[in-house]
Amino acid sequence: MAGNILEARGLRKSFGDLVAVDGVDFHIAEGETYGLLGPNGAGKTTAISMVTGLLEKDSGEVVVAGRSITTSSTDAKAAIGYVPQDIAIYPDLSARENLDFFGRLYGMNGKERSARVGEVLEIIGLADRADDRSEQFSGGMKRRLNIGIGLLHSPRLLMLDEPTVGVDPQSRNAILESVERLSQEGMAVLYTTHYMEEAERLCDRVGIIDHGKILAEGTRAELVALVGQRDRVRMSTNDRTEAAAEALRSHAAVDEVTASDGGLEVLVRGAAAALPRLLELAAGAGVGVTSVEVVEPNLEAVFLHLTGKALRD
Amino acid sequence: MKKVLAIGLVNAKRFVREKANLFFVFVFPILIVLLIGSFFGGGFNPTVGVYAAGEGSLTEGLLSALDGLENIDVRTYSTEAELVDGVQRGAVQGGLVIPVDYDQSLTSGESSQVGFVARPDQTAILLRQTIEAVIQEQGNLVRAARFAAGHTGGSFADSLAVARIVAPASQRVGVTYREAGDDSLTAEFSGLGTFDLGAHQELVLFMFLTSLAGSAALIQTRQLGVARRMLSTPTGTGTILMGETLGRFNVAMVQGLYIVLGTVLLFRVDWGDPLGALALVTAFALVGAAAGILMGAVFSNDSQAGGLGVLIGLGLAAVGGCMVPIEIFPEGMQTIAKFTPHAWAIDGFSEMVRRDGTFVDILPNLAVLAGFAAVLMLLGTWRLHRVLTR
Ligand SMILES: Nc1ncnc2c1ncn2[C@@H]1O[C@H](COP(=O)(O)OP(=O)(O)O)[C@@H](O)[C@H]1O
Ligand SMILES: [Mg+2]
Repeated sequence: MAGNILEARGLRKSFGDLVAVDGVDFHIAEGETYGLLGPNGAGKTTAISMVTGLLEKDSGEVVVAGRSITTSSTDAKAAIGYVPQDIAIYPDLSARENLDFFGRLYGMNGKERSARVGEVLEIIGLADRADDRSEQFSGGMKRRLNIGIGLLHSPRLLMLDEPTVGVDPQSRNAILESVERLSQEGMAVLYTTHYMEEAERLCDRVGIIDHGKILAEGTRAELVALVGQRDRVRMSTNDRTEAAAEALRSHAAVDEVTASDGGLEVLVRGAAAALPRLLELAAGAGVGVTSVEVVEPNLEAVFLHLTGKALRD
Repeated sequence: MKKVLAIGLVNAKRFVREKANLFFVFVFPILIVLLIGSFFGGGFNPTVGVYAAGEGSLTEGLLSALDGLENIDVRTYSTEAELVDGVQRGAVQGGLVIPVDYDQSLTSGESSQVGFVARPDQTAILLRQTIEAVIQEQGNLVRAARFAAGHTGGSFADSLAVARIVAPASQRVGVTYREAGDDSLTAEFSGLGTFDLGAHQELVLFMFLTSLAGSAALIQTRQLGVARRMLSTPTGTGTILMGETLGRFNVAMVQGLYIVLGTVLLFRVDWGDPLGALALVTAFALVGAAAGILMGAVFSNDSQAGGLGVLIGLGLAAVGGCMVPIEIFPEGMQTIAKFTPHAWAIDGFSEMVRRDGTFVDILPNLAVLAGFAAVLMLLGTWRLHRVLTR
């Protein structure tokens, strides 16, 4: 298909008896940010490794920027910037030296390289620590350097494998902002994560992956529609929850009410409109509502709907 | 090619940053140089002690032949016990016992057994080689004389005198009888300081052993995930392997040249034609580096690779003739030795030092060593690709 920077078809990989990736297809349009969202062990790293030509596929095909990618590809890999899940830098070299080394491997020459290394150091916020050995860096700084290496040659497609795992909130936010900025500048991104919020915030489209299969794929709205447009209203009550549940069920927009410890969970179509009436109904049943929380449907709910389990256990 | 250099450069940079490595490159070889010096007693000749139980012209002849050797000093003892004691205390490096009936046995055509006493070290082996050559030569004369006496009807004593005169001039007598033994070999050794011999072998042993330790560098790069990450750039496995090999080659090269120069300056060791020596050290450094990197691609655990590296390094050195001169190996072992790069490197130095060969004469050795390096690098590439992509 024209306009796609990446096309992956029929990817499959087993390790012994374990099928880690079981027939994965997806594509990424030029400039698009695509997320693979799934819990630990879902097969995200295995899939991204095959896409970058780092792992031998059992079967399937990967085309990046019109060129087929296998483990023996060299030139075709120039379109890809890869950021592995586990930090891969030389700890005894400085940030600048690490970047410079990989710049050479990306085939960048003298002036161009040193200028670009300077730019990347700015982007990842390590300009003031550029000449310190990276083993002295905090976890978050190492993560940022790890990402910086993948950005060096301004790739058309940046692949990030869980880049925020084990990072402090500040570094995490910096990383997410960088990805947003790169995306705005037109870079296509493949982003894997098990954090629902990151996928929602960054990705134009998301593939939900579990047990090596993509279970559903689409924009956030498309995925949420799978669950149905229902909001979740949580009410904390002081007493008589059973009576309140009865009363609320009588409302036409309410699909489901479950009583839980010290409160109620109500699935409502259009919570904003229905909420005043719901509170009246509760009061009419003689129930005191102490707090109300409205949760719009999210990818977490989609995952729960598709797999019957939570993203993180 | 630029990428190979980039990888080699980073490898070298990281190597130099580790202070322990500087010891390894610059201090350790000095120890090796000094070890070579003390082991082979650079500067002084080995002394052989002799106890002659009987007398006669052949006994005398043997003594004076030994005396005439340039690189060996002779000390005579008046009892066998004193001689053995001298050997044990290290006063002499070997002892020769000439039996009472030496003259009589040989003259009457029987064989005679000369005793050699020594401590089990390398100097003794070489000493024995030289002494055997001398004895062999005398045996040749005796046989020639007996042959002549049998055909001319003259006395043995007269014939021996004739044979002595003829021997140096007549190729026939000399050559015919030399075939019986391997004295052409010992003749080769006898003109050579025993020290030179050891230094070449020590160099080869040491360079290879330390090159195998280079496996740790690749294993570490793999463990850091950097090797795999290199493969995610437009860089092939072959390029990565060549770069890593280049890094280790630099180290082996510095060490090798350092030892060569050190032994030349301190002990005047003869390494032969300088160009040839440089080429041999270069080729052998490449083989060592490629072997180390292959090990680094095969093993995932550096203490495992390190332990095995020492075993392999010493094993190949022994088989390749670093510990005992290959020339005194049984024939089958000599053939097996040809499968080690060590034997080809040592043979190259021997060619230049003992047989006055030049760069051109060692071209076959260089070609074989280059072949070793190429095969090791191909295997390494294949193996590295597998471990990185499965
Ligand atoms: N090299 C390997 N050998 C054996 N099993 C593996 C290997 N790599 C991954 N796996 C298994 O494959 C599954 C998918 O792993 P992975 O792709 O790392 O998941 P994710 O990145 O989504 O957490 C897991 O069950 C994991 O244990
Ligand atoms: Mg993973």
